[in-house]
Amino acid sequence: MSGKIDAQSLSKTYVSARSGERVEALRDVSFSVAPHEFVSIVGPSGCGKSTLLALVAGFVAPTSGRVLADGVPITGPDPRRGVMFQDYALFPWRTVLGNVEFGPLARGATREAMREIAHRYIDLVGLKGFEQRYPHELSGGMRQRCALARLLANEPEVWLMDEPLAAVDLQTRNILQDELLRLWGDGDDAAQRRAVLFVTHGIDEAVYLSDRVLVLGRRPGRIKETVDIDLARPRRGLRNSAAAGRYIDYIWNLIRDEAARAIVEETA
Amino acid sequence: MTSRRAFLPLAFFTVAILVWQTAVVHYGQRATYPYPMGVVDAAVRTIEDGSLVASTSNSLLRVLIGFAIGAACGIPLGVLMGFVRPIGRAVSPIVDSLRSIAPIAWIPMALLWLGIRGNAALFIVTYAAFFPFVLNAAQGARLIDRNLVNAARALGASRALVVRSVVLPSALPAILTGARVSMAFAWGSIIAAELAMGIKVTSGGSGAVGLGQLMVSTLYVRRDVNGLVLYMIVIGIISLCIDLAMRRLQRSLTPWRT
Repeated sequence: MSGKIDAQSLSKTYVSARSGERVEALRDVSFSVAPHEFVSIVGPSGCGKSTLLALVAGFVAPTSGRVLADGVPITGPDPRRGVMFQDYALFPWRTVLGNVEFGPLARGATREAMREIAHRYIDLVGLKGFEQRYPHELSGGMRQRCALARLLANEPEVWLMDEPLAAVDLQTRNILQDELLRLWGDGDDAAQRRAVLFVTHGIDEAVYLSDRVLVLGRRPGRIKETVDIDLARPRRGLRNSAAAGRYIDYIWNLIRDEAARAIVEETA
Repeated sequence: MTSRRAFLPLAFFTVAILVWQTAVVHYGQRATYPYPMGVVDAAVRTIEDGSLVASTSNSLLRVLIGFAIGAACGIPLGVLMGFVRPIGRAVSPIVDSLRSIAPIAWIPMALLWLGIRGNAALFIVTYAAFFPFVLNAAQGARLIDRNLVNAARALGASRALVVRSVVLPSALPAILTGARVSMAFAWGSIIAAELAMGIKVTSGGSGAVGLGQLMVSTLYVRRDVNGLVLYMIVIGIISLCIDLAMRRLQRSLTPWRT
């Protein structure tokens, strides 16, 4: 394999520090993401989606197996792989501008370059005029845009996104999906696109955005099936198409039983 | 509007002062019981001869030095204890046992080691200021959001940058709370320390006399009860000012906290 990201037989078992209980989060997961490909991971609660992303980001090490980025084993976080977090993880003590500047700052950009880059991406995500706001002064959708600008400002080759749209309302979510596709290059030449690994619990979202959907099962987390989404790009207008609907139904049928079981087990 | 709201407490205060004044003057116990006009006289006298300002600034200077040393040692230790768990586990028992000892209990030892000049008081103040810094910085660093650390690392931040721009700001609100407690402790113990070492210094004619030492000589040498009340009022006002200043500092240093 020679993708942008290659996961090879990944397993991850957590051992609880208190009880010593072992939880197998992932078992023998292999997949790859091509350089310009948008890949989503869907699955019921507790299937290890977020763990998978953390492994690729380099935040945690696998129990066995390995992840390669450009053929080189991942040993820790790297600015070439940008991460967007479920709760955005914006720095509360930095303004929008300060948050977006952080990547260039960390990589040693000059003050002027830092500012210029930050303003460019703040414009791009539509946050112009909010540069001096702190995250707590922003709406959920605006925080999400700020997190996106922060990721883009580092110009990473891979975007790792952990349910980035989970916390906003449905309409905002639809708008942000279209924004995300635009920024990724949905309507442009495929060569401009970055590799994306996108974790979500929204099957419709995964189908609408992705080239390929990895469907995970739970306990332990493993890949049940890989579904190629053969829809034309740009996707705008295909959100409620019959073809998209068929993919959504197909994937839903794959995970319905386990999703139902997840509800019962999590309340127990 | 505000003047009308202020009227009632002000009127009551005036009446209370008047009653106090007439009571003491009427019963003629002026040597034992202080009274308002006497306090005013004491204020005028000690301001004129400079002893009030000199001793207050001596005490405050010791507090500030002790506070600064406490911060300089306490914050790094606390952050380290909170952020690096093994260090926290190793050091906590010692810190916890030492902080349970009231700073003023160290006074005899401090006098033995450091003598009765200013250093013993400085030691006590530093000791008092140190532990609130350690505890609060550790607490702040312990509660840090690991996602923020991960976010910074994924953006390319070095270890030093993570500490400077994530760990420290995360811990800053708690550190500032620690600073407020430290200041209050330090100011409280400087008076106690100076009281304990006071009489010898003043009889020895030292220049570094603080408020507490002035109180001792006022009590035993000058027998001036009004002076004592004056110093108590000054101590109270300074406590109040310190707390107000620390609150303001907290607001201006952590604008992201609403």
